[in-house]
Amino acid sequence: MKYSPQDIIIGFFKTALLLICLEIFTSAFLPAVGITNFKPAFNVLIILFLAFKLDVPFLPFLILLFQFIHSAFSIEGWASGTFAGILIALSVRYVKDMLNFSTPISTIIVVQIFQLAWFILVAVILSLKLGDFSNFIFIFMKYVPESIFLSVISHHFFMLLDNFWQVNRKTSGATI
Amino acid sequence: MDNLGLDSSRWGLVNNIIVAIVALYGIAVQDYRVGDASVFQKGMVEVLAPIQRGTLSMQESVSYTIDHYFMIVNTSKENESLRKNLAGLENEVFSLKEVQKENERLKKLLDFGKEIPRKKVLAQVVSWDSSNEFKVLRINKGEVHGLRLLSPVITMTGLVGYVYRLTPNYADILTILDQNNRVDAIVSRTRTHGIVEGHSGFTCHLKYVSRTEKLEIGDTILTAGLGEIYPKGIKVGRITKIDKENFGITQKIEITPSVDFHKLEEVVILVEDATHAGNDFSVTKKVEL
Repeated sequence: MKYSPQDIIIGFFKTALLLICLEIFTSAFLPAVGITNFKPAFNVLIILFLAFKLDVPFLPFLILLFQFIHSAFSIEGWASGTFAGILIALSVRYVKDMLNFSTPISTIIVVQIFQLAWFILVAVILSLKLGDFSNFIFIFMKYVPESIFLSVISHHFFMLLDNFWQVNRKTSGATI
Repeated sequence: MDNLGLDSSRWGLVNNIIVAIVALYGIAVQDYRVGDASVFQKGMVEVLAPIQRGTLSMQESVSYTIDHYFMIVNTSKENESLRKNLAGLENEVFSLKEVQKENERLKKLLDFGKEIPRKKVLAQVVSWDSSNEFKVLRINKGEVHGLRLLSPVITMTGLVGYVYRLTPNYADILTILDQNNRVDAIVSRTRTHGIVEGHSGFTCHLKYVSRTEKLEIGDTILTAGLGEIYPKGIKVGRITKIDKENFGITQKIEITPSVDFHKLEEVVILVEDATHAGNDFSVTKKVEL
């Protein structure tokens, strides 16, 4: 799979725009309609997509950029998500041949497993920063309902991102 | 078309190491109690917060349209013009009622805390933090309106939090629901000291209270005035659950905040003027709308 700088820039801007729209939806629209306890982490879904489907050497920088955008909407910041994203992307490389995204069910299961790994990492980092592991399980459990929602929509979400990054065209052997 | 020529696994590994080191440094220096917004983040917030604010207004308009106009669509043609007039009047009455309600709320808000001799800046809530783990609000006032980091934020019902991160026109408020926010507090009835810490959802815990203290459900918790962030005597919440275990030297106390965070629309930020910084509260207070 080979990407030209133009492909990367277009894919990045489209995905960044989508992320910004989704972050606004989560941070402003949902609370405005009274939903203050349900905030799906769409940045995680986007980074998982990049880790699963984009085999480029500058993937860590893309993760960093998307986390930077996320940090404008959350005090979580960019650092913990970037670190977790890199570790997830590295682990994906070793199991990539076993991953299957052909059916919605397989996508849901794979995304759910890696989301849980992501949230364990983030909960560990947050607990280390707070110097208090007594809330570790509680912090981790907070992410679970949203992660299930994200897994359920992941198949269709990935189809949209496939379009943005022209993944099918690249994997089907088209020369760029 | 040329590729970037960087698709070797060696470059990938080098990039991973570089970004991982940068991220680790970022984690090490990140402070969840006081935020330091970078130029990039400030720019992003300044550009995107108006859209968040617009989303809020749009939602109100959509709700109003759904509630008040969809019923009219299927009425007979004969009554169409009359109903439109009626809808227009209803719209006007609704707007006036909303303005009246807002005025009443703002008046009460400004009347509350008259005894606190600080400059008061009124602000509207624009959005919440997009991560479920952090209980942070974004408001439509910032540095240019005189806000400073760590300025306390209140409503007429009690304590909201403090200013965590500032941009020229917006500010992020770390609420008392967040586990990174700790408030030095006292129980109004017994004058017992403790630390209020965000716990789960919309409750807090009062920590480090000795088992021997005789607290009761319903006791009011106030700010103690220590810690140089919150003025003394602001209502934090009331005790809703006390759990005295057979072991340990402290008791587990759950607090329900007096502020209803689900319905929070406006807040007041208490800003210490440079002219009376510190504990000199003798200067006349100003109110800024």
